[in-house]
Amino acid sequence: MKLDRRRFLTRSAVVLGAGGLAAAGERELGRGPADAAAAQPSTLQDRFPFDGPHQSGVVTRGGGEAAFAALDAIARDRATLIQGLQALSSRARQLTQGTTMGPQEADEPPADSGTLGTTIAPDALTVTIGFGATLFDHRYGLRARRPARLRPMPAFPDDDLDPNQTHGDLLLQLTANRRDTVVHALRELLRPVRGAFALRWSIDGFQSADRGPSPRSARRNLFGFRDGTANPDPRDDAAMRRLVWVPSGGGEPSWAAGGTYQVVRVIRMHVEFWDRVGLREQENMIGRRRDTGAPLGGTDEYQDPRLDLDPKGERIPLDAHIRMANPRTPATEDQRILRRGFNYTRGFDAAGQLDQGLIFVAFNQDLARQFETVQKRLAGEPMTDYVTPVGGGYFFVPRGAAGPGDWVGSGAFAV
Amino acid sequence: MATTVAALSPGGDDGPVHAAGVPHPGIAPAASSAARSSSGKVTDTRLNAQQAADAAAQKPTAAGLRPEVQPLSPRAFRGPVAAYRRYAIREARAMAAPVAALVRALRAGDRGAARAAWGRAYDRYLLLGAAYGALGDLDVAIDGSPGGLARGARDPRFTGLHRIEHDLWTGRTAGEVLPYARRLRADVARLPRVLARMTISPLDYSTRAHEILEDAQRDQLSGAAAPWSGAGLRATADDLAATRKVIGTLQPVLSGRGDALPAVESQLAAFGARMRRVRRAHGARWPRLDALRPREREALAGGLGALLEALSAVPGALETQLPAPVPAIPKGHR
Repeated sequence: MKLDRRRFLTRSAVVLGAGGLAAAGERELGRGPADAAAAQPSTLQDRFPFDGPHQSGVVTRGGGEAAFAALDAIARDRATLIQGLQALSSRARQLTQGTTMGPQEADEPPADSGTLGTTIAPDALTVTIGFGATLFDHRYGLRARRPARLRPMPAFPDDDLDPNQTHGDLLLQLTANRRDTVVHALRELLRPVRGAFALRWSIDGFQSADRGPSPRSARRNLFGFRDGTANPDPRDDAAMRRLVWVPSGGGEPSWAAGGTYQVVRVIRMHVEFWDRVGLREQENMIGRRRDTGAPLGGTDEYQDPRLDLDPKGERIPLDAHIRMANPRTPATEDQRILRRGFNYTRGFDAAGQLDQGLIFVAFNQDLARQFETVQKRLAGEPMTDYVTPVGGGYFFVPRGAAGPGDWVGSGAFAV
Repeated sequence: MATTVAALSPGGDDGPVHAAGVPHPGIAPAASSAARSSSGKVTDTRLNAQQAADAAAQKPTAAGLRPEVQPLSPRAFRGPVAAYRRYAIREARAMAAPVAALVRALRAGDRGAARAAWGRAYDRYLLLGAAYGALGDLDVAIDGSPGGLARGARDPRFTGLHRIEHDLWTGRTAGEVLPYARRLRADVARLPRVLARMTISPLDYSTRAHEILEDAQRDQLSGAAAPWSGAGLRATADDLAATRKVIGTLQPVLSGRGDALPAVESQLAAFGARMRRVRRAHGARWPRLDALRPREREALAGGLGALLEALSAVPGALETQLPAPVPAIPKGHR
């Protein structure tokens, strides 16, 4: 028996190595054309880098399964906090790159839960680590290192934020092709850091499948509308430098360069209510056709809605979501944000209504100039009646680790 | 609560619970920019609701349209809205008494009496029902929630009924609550005048018919709106009474416009019966939400859902204009 197992482990290591090479060579999903990547069926061997100038999970067109876990730091001192962060990066690196379990001691608890077996395939896993504003309070001597634009997410009009689903010292964003990979990764990541971090809130997300008609067609959210059509192209490096990545200088501490600000908003959608709304009203609230995703008056999802030629809202109402979110004028160009949302579903409320909605995720370089400007413009939009933001937070996602000796966030602690 | 109970019991014992389906008109009703219609394939056609509505919009006088898709004259709403306005002003005036009693109870330091007066004042405000949205800042001052405020329930801008509810049920002293009750008294005194002036369009009024109870399901039966007092069920009864009032005023207009009215009346009766049964089982009082047994909770949630499905046909049945066709996006680049 034992021999068999050892042989199995050796063999899987070889297989994994081959798969890993293939992933690096043929499936550079983070950098290759998104269309091509999307057209290929996802495999267990899909792999995104953990180390690099930027963390994976931001401009990554990655897997459709996700988990968000906000943690509070409970480390008693700075050294313990650093150890916790080092352990997080180290374990995340192993899990995202794929690993094989070594021989286990029969008398000891196994080093891995075993829920994926003995060969941990990468499965497009990304682990993105972000810091909340409260991490930079008095506890760990980080006050002077706080990213200049980081603060706790404010409550916006019509929010109903639950403190138990809001904020946090740290945010882990996990995405992968398959649910079991995400579930395994979160469990494994928490294990070595129990003395440093405690769960504050968490939520699971999923994206709808690519159902066409074209590989470019944006996926649908739980209101049945395509979501993300007007997103900036994450492959456009110049746009990402302008809109997403924090540049050096600009009042930011030097360690913040190459990072980005992440906005997470857990938005309950009152889906039963929405389903009782006429199609025309739904479409007028969004500004697009529900079936094709085309802007009203158009036939193609990616058609320019030409808001400039419809100043009175005869085609697309003046309070339609797409118009208020992105007026498409030169003046609003630098307010655009990179969205990477996920649907969620988690049971039902006391009135028997499904608790479903959107985990709104956006990355931007400047919260005030971008996300908050857009959010304030959306205040009072007709869709407000059908949604309730209940949680989330602002987080700073530092640049990626330089390599196996480095860890995410090390710059904030450099002396 | 006598008023509410009376409104809930229009006569007769609990009848059988009808499971009337949502009526789907033979062609999608003409919808204005913010009106509701049914979706899915339209009966006997291969069109979805959007296509059918488009078709109807281009041929508004085509033969074969059923009466309910012919737009109503806005004049048809004058009587119902006027009747509703008289009712709302009456309810607003009647709110002054429990608010005055609330102030008195707080001055006397009598928490029990203050809570009881709060409940009566909240009933009155909810019975206004269809006025929401027309009251603007005054509605926020009287019925605002703490969710969007920086300091939540401790924010000084959190005022009105729910501020007082929070304070009365979380152990604040009467002296701390009193200023908010006085402020409420002043705000409530302004209500009748504001209601007399408010404009309610036909479209607003016909959507109110189902949105009052949509709010009840989203905010009251879920416990979100009145979390401290647990008054969600009693509040749902108030919202049901307000909906009955609106539907009652619209009855002459709705008659003969498709199947909406009979389905709504049947579901109103069924849900009213479910509510009465629960109230009876709890000693003829509205129990706190958290005192509902699981079966009762399910029966109320499902019954309200079925009523809402029926009510969602009302706005489409009451269209006053055919939608303008959506112009095509001009060709060419910027």
